[in-house]
This record gives sequence, structure tokens and C-alpha cells, in this order.
Amino acid sequence: MVVIGGGLSGLNSALLLNDFGLDVIVLEGSQRVGGRARTADGVETRPEYGASQIGRSYARAIDLCSRMGLNLIPQDRFIMPMSFNVGGTWVRSDEWADSPVNKLVGDEREIPPSLVGMGLMNRLNPLKNLDDWLSPEFFSYDVSMLELLQKSGASPEALRLASYYLDLRTTSSLAIMQERTRTLFDANFGRTESSGEATAFGLGGTNERGEEIPAIRNIEGGVSRLPEAIAAALGDRVRLGKVAAAIDMSGPDAEIRCLDGSRYRADFVVAAVPFSTLRNISVSPGFSGRQAEAVLTLGYRGTTRAYGLVEAPYWEEDGFEPSFWTDGTVQTMWVMEKRPGEDRHRFILTFTGMTSARIDQLPDDKALALIESEIARARPAARGRFRFLALYGWRKNPLILGCRHMFAPGQIARFAREMIVPHHRLHFAGEHTRRMDFGMESALESGERAAFEILQRA
Amino acid sequence: MKTARSGTAFGAGLLYAAMLCGITAPPSATAADDAAPAKDTAAAEAPDPRLVARGKRLYVFCQACHATEEVKGSKIGPNLAGILDRQVAILEDTLYSDALRQQDFVWDEEKLDVWLLRPATLVPGTSMAFVGLPREENRAAIIAYLKTL
Repeated sequence: MVVIGGGLSGLNSALLLNDFGLDVIVLEGSQRVGGRARTADGVETRPEYGASQIGRSYARAIDLCSRMGLNLIPQDRFIMPMSFNVGGTWVRSDEWADSPVNKLVGDEREIPPSLVGMGLMNRLNPLKNLDDWLSPEFFSYDVSMLELLQKSGASPEALRLASYYLDLRTTSSLAIMQERTRTLFDANFGRTESSGEATAFGLGGTNERGEEIPAIRNIEGGVSRLPEAIAAALGDRVRLGKVAAAIDMSGPDAEIRCLDGSRYRADFVVAAVPFSTLRNISVSPGFSGRQAEAVLTLGYRGTTRAYGLVEAPYWEEDGFEPSFWTDGTVQTMWVMEKRPGEDRHRFILTFTGMTSARIDQLPDDKALALIESEIARARPAARGRFRFLALYGWRKNPLILGCRHMFAPGQIARFAREMIVPHHRLHFAGEHTRRMDFGMESALESGERAAFEILQRA
Repeated sequence: MKTARSGTAFGAGLLYAAMLCGITAPPSATAADDAAPAKDTAAAEAPDPRLVARGKRLYVFCQACHATEEVKGSKIGPNLAGILDRQVAILEDTLYSDALRQQDFVWDEEKLDVWLLRPATLVPGTSMAFVGLPREENRAAIIAYLKTL
């Protein structure tokens, strides 16, 4: 067996196949395993660039951590209250609903501008079960968020603010609802009716039975410890620096050719790389029909984050809250409560859509200078009172080309089911091939499924 | 997708197409479509060792959530040792959904078969996030294995 891609999905596939005594090689193109699970170990505060959250119902992540001897710790990331800069005017969160800057209409007005997209989509979500999104019954929701929100009577201002959350024209509403449904499932997991109301935004209250489990946990020492531990368990079966260029299945088995000239033969292959890069690998016989359409056209999104420290509490000067959201280039700046032992607040800036593209086109030093000047422009009190530690844009990673997949309108109905059907000796894994899960767990879920498929054939 | 049971070289591909079909088609139709003549052999008397072995292998799909005597670790679902003929949602210190706690039945082969096809069909609101096994022989194999636990 050859697994192409040493992210969590590929590693989980390889581990399971290896457990059953099958010969497995993992070909990882970069010099590290983990893919989008990546702890910035060399950076002060050791930020997570990608996946880090483990929900209570993330069975595979929890089980794997236990098997690998890794501890799960409650997520210690408490975001301080958030003010908003809308159209150039500042508003505190507690004044938003009645502010003249708030151009939302009716019951929309209660939703913070940063959450308008998610909030309105939650209200429209018809899904009950985790697999509903694959059912034709709900394909009428496989339209753009713009179309769905317009049909539901969302105000023009709601559409404008929601577009900062996700690009409304190119995002399938159904894809968002799959994720919201899975998030709600996690929020409700292990809870009883009497233990309070769960929302998509987090949890209050505690479990009544069993041991109390925090809603979100992290891996002690950083998320990278998990892929590293799996790779260590697999030993020399994991090969780094192996960029796959071709998968040839025209002979009696599969041959994988790497750019360094090495060749590997396998009975079965797992493509545990995103379609954004699988589409650059030569596969023969080639994909056909809707699967080809999926590999070639599945949407991907860039997310860029900047991490740093607040050197002085600028909010004491201007009276607004520490965190903020703006409808300019600086979208979301989360300022975190200090963790035990920390003398300064951490912050994370998140850029999506076109603002992410604006940042990503620049080398890091120029990008950070741009962000710094934009923050100073939006919030003068913050000028000179924060310091950057790191910047990371997933679109710039040439072996990944995005932080995540995103179905475009109509793509779920077109190929969400067909895209993962094994192609000759090639099976598919990766978060984009999820069936019921979300986040890190969706990667593990997909790797498990690919292994399950192969175990029935091998 | 109707050819899913043929033993072609691409059987697994078709199998998965059938699994997906199981997600979307009415479960009763899938189950009927899936009915295989050889179902009975493993059942009442001595377990078919080959079926049990196959079930043990397919348990890879269960093991992330469910411990057994053999499978250890931090599992979020109930331990499945002794699951056959056990009253539903009966273990202590186990996170069951309210939906499951409100049930009153015993896990027999028939119930497990419906459950493994798609848990939410048997118990809407279940907290078991499982994609389902539309192939009858896969369900039979896992049930045969569960009987040995």
C-alpha cells in the first residue's frame, strides 16, 4: 500500500492498514508530517497555524491521542470582548443592537456584525442528521449563500456583512450547514436535556452524568505531536520529501513516481492530498465523469493568520473592547485572556477571502508592515502597542494550496457522493472527502474510511 | 449501484457507491435490495469462524469509539463486550444520548442489523456518528464478531 500525503488523514489510513499487517509506505512531499495540523514550535507562544481543536465527540482524535500517549488539555483560549468598526465608525458590542451604525433590519440587529453570516445560516439550517447533506432531499440548499440569504429576506446590509464571513457567491449553503450541524452535534454530545441550552458558539453548564469533559480540548505540547507520534509509530514507512508526480495504474498494479525519480509499486494507493494538489498529479487511467469534475474544480479557500503579543492595553486609551472586527482589510483581531504565567495578551488576526489574497501576495515583512499600518489606521490607539510573532497563509503552501476545501454552489449535488468512489486501485482520503465529520476529525474519519475500503479488497 | 454485490475487481468502489446509496436511499429499500441468501448460516448455532474473522477485521470501523475486551483506549462510546442480549443504554458512566436512554429494547441481531445500517433510522437523535454499513454481509460479519465478545 502507498499512502500519498502525510497529513492526519494519510497517517491514520497508514496506521490502520499497518495494524492489520499490510505493508504501507507513506510518501510525504514536504519535510514534515502533519499537513494542516501544524504547531509553530519555533515561535514564541507556539501558535497553531491550522487545526487544533478537539471536540467532545471527536472519537478518533481522542482515541488516537490516548493510544499515542498524548494528553488532552482544555483549550485555554478565551477571546476578550469585541468592538466593531463598521463603515469607519467604532461601536462597542453592548451598544451594537441600538447603534445608528447598525443598518441591519428587524431581528438581524441583535447579531454582532462579525457573526451575521453564521447567525443567519444557523437559522436557515434544515439538517437534522450528520449525513443529511448527502441526501437529494436537501439539495435545494446546494445554492450560493447569496441566493439563500436573499430568498430568506436578508437585508442588503446583512448580505454585505455576511460576505466578510465567507464569499457568498462561491460558497454552497449546504456545505456550511453540514459543518454547523456537526458543530451542534458536538455541542450537544453527552449532554442531557436538563443541562442547559447549547449553541453553535460554545457551551455553558456542565454534564450531569459521567465525568465533565470540556467542550474543546487541545493536545498538550501542540497539535503537531499527534502526526509526529503516528509517524514515529510507523517508523521508516514514512518517507519525507517525496513529491508524487504520477500514479500509473495501467499495469497489473499501481506505480507511483516521485519527482526525485524514485518509484513505488503498490496494490492499492490512498490519495490523502487535497484535490487542489491531486489535480496536479498525473493519474492514469485518468479520472472521468463527475469524479474528474470534482478533482479539477472542487473549491479551495485561503486563510491567513497573523500572531502576536499586545505590548500595552490600547483599549484603556480609546474605551473600546480589546478584540475587534472591521469591515476593512483588518477583519478579525482576537485578543486573548492571559494564560497562567503570561505577562502579555496574545492576539490572532484572521484574514479570509480577498483580504487574505491581499496579504498573501506579499513577502512576510511587507505583509506585516501592511497589516500594521491598517490596524493603526483602523484603531489609532493600537499603534505601536502590539508586536507580531508570525504570519501564515495556507494558500502559499505549494503542496496544499489552501486552508480547506469549500464546495461551490451545486457541487455537492453534482459530485459529493461520486468524488470518493475508489478509482481503480486509488482510494481517497482528506478532509474534503468527509462524510459526517468536521475539522481534524473529518481528516481522521476519511483516513479510516479509506483503510476500511482497502481492508475489504486486500 | 445495484451491481454492488458483484465480485468485480472494482468491488470496493461499487461497495462504496452502495454505502452512499445507503445514506440516501430509504433504508428499507436498501436493506431489501441488500438481502443476501446466506444470512442465516452464521446465526443461531456455532459461529462461522470466517465470518467472525471478517467481522473482527471490519471492526476497524468501530474501534475508535468502542472498546471491547481486546480493544482498549479512550473511547467515547459504550464498551461492546457483551452487547448481544444487553438492555439498551444500560452501562454506567457511559455517555448515551437522551434519545437512546428513552428506548426500551434488547440488542439482538435484528436490532443491531437495523442499527448498523443507519443508527439514526432506529433511534432518531442518537449521538452515534456512524456512516452506516449498507452491505448486509458486512453487518452480518460484525454482528457475528460482536457475538463472540
